[in-house]
Amino acid sequence: MPVILAIESSCDETSAAVIRHGQVRSNVVANQTVHVQYGGVVPELASRAHQQHIVPVVSQALAQAQTAKTELDAIAFTRGPGLLGSLLVGGSFAKALALGLAKPLIEVHHMHAHVLAHFIEEPQPQFPFICLTVSGGHTQLVLVRAPLDMTIIGQTQDDAVGEAFDKAAKILGLPYPGGPLIDQHAQTGNPEAFSFPEVQTPGLNFSFSGIKTAFLYFVQDKTRQNPDFVTEHLSDICASMQHTLVKILLGKLRRAARELKINEVAIAGGVSANRGLRQALRDLANREGWRVHVPAFQYCTDNAAMIAMAAHYKYLAGEFVGQDISPEPRLAF
Amino acid sequence: MELICENLAQLPAIARQVRNFAGPLRVWLMEGQLGAGKTALAQAVCRDLGVTDPVSSPTFAIVNQYATAQGQPVYHLDCYRLKNEAEALDIGVEEYLYSGHYCLIEWASRIQALWPPAYLAIDIALGPGQERRLNLTRHD
Repeated sequence: MPVILAIESSCDETSAAVIRHGQVRSNVVANQTVHVQYGGVVPELASRAHQQHIVPVVSQALAQAQTAKTELDAIAFTRGPGLLGSLLVGGSFAKALALGLAKPLIEVHHMHAHVLAHFIEEPQPQFPFICLTVSGGHTQLVLVRAPLDMTIIGQTQDDAVGEAFDKAAKILGLPYPGGPLIDQHAQTGNPEAFSFPEVQTPGLNFSFSGIKTAFLYFVQDKTRQNPDFVTEHLSDICASMQHTLVKILLGKLRRAARELKINEVAIAGGVSANRGLRQALRDLANREGWRVHVPAFQYCTDNAAMIAMAAHYKYLAGEFVGQDISPEPRLAF
Repeated sequence: MELICENLAQLPAIARQVRNFAGPLRVWLMEGQLGAGKTALAQAVCRDLGVTDPVSSPTFAIVNQYATAQGQPVYHLDCYRLKNEAEALDIGVEEYLYSGHYCLIEWASRIQALWPPAYLAIDIALGPGQERRLNLTRHD
């Protein structure tokens, strides 16, 4: 069983993790909190900060795992998808380290890794299962047949659901990051107070662009009648918007589970921290008789532990790459 | 030139008209408030170029890259989260702007100092209901 160092740098988090015999021994994330003041993922800070963080983050991951570099059996990195400048930092570092240590190199698809985050801790999902991966940049329904055999069966045609949360917050004048604030205000609001038209999309695909526009019109219209509308009804607006977004997500998830006759269901990605989504998923699971899997929060957001987990399976399958590998911003799933 | 798009169904035809108007211009700067339809227009243009990849909002990723039917790259950028030009330079925005390939940029006003000499400016205004008014200006 291998000892692997994994590096993640696809977006704004620099992270390194060590996995030993399939057990994650360390997972160090340098979260660029400096981004918050600029209203989001700031690439300039991202690529520059990745360069500043990568050496200390890797050293710390090895130290916490009490692992010497010479003990490593392979080096893994996120090849894509992501921002090229950010991917290059982690990819180049991993390649150089692999070359220097004369160890094999493993490339990992960031979105595969989100799904495989479910195998870091017990209880693990049984195959086949359906994973709903929800984040700021992605909304995907994935049919998972085996650790290295998965297919997208539905995805967003425009905005990701995390973006819908963040942009709704922006329309309400809430500070960044807006998604978690919507969740927070929604706790005390009435989810049925307002209704927003849902865009019907074919099959298992999602669309969140229309609801963003409908939400904008709604807020503009109400504010015209009453300039204090947002402040007076903030909790109800947030609860209603969250309820609508969650309903869209779970509607498609239920359809997928019924069509495929699968009752093993998982969620992954940063938005799976949303309390409204978790509660609604639990309720739905009870009605549908599903077994539901939600990774610990630290494995939902971007992290290298999930890259390490994916790399572990690729190592066992003998899937290595050469030094001629390049980061790929639009890596196919 | 002004184009009026009354509803989503007209968008594919509008996208073709914008392409015809743009001629050889490859850098398109799209302005318009949240919900104006910048991403929707980019989607329609990509479809018109034969892109079969899902075209989604680049707000989170900053740059989305697709491929046309002929395998040519199409860059879809979003400067919404950028604070200034220096940040754009650091992600290598010039690599995209001067690539000679289509470069569809949302919230381009954030990087005004980096605009190339030749570009197509597209201002999208929200009309009543689904209606959108597209104001197109060529800068050759």
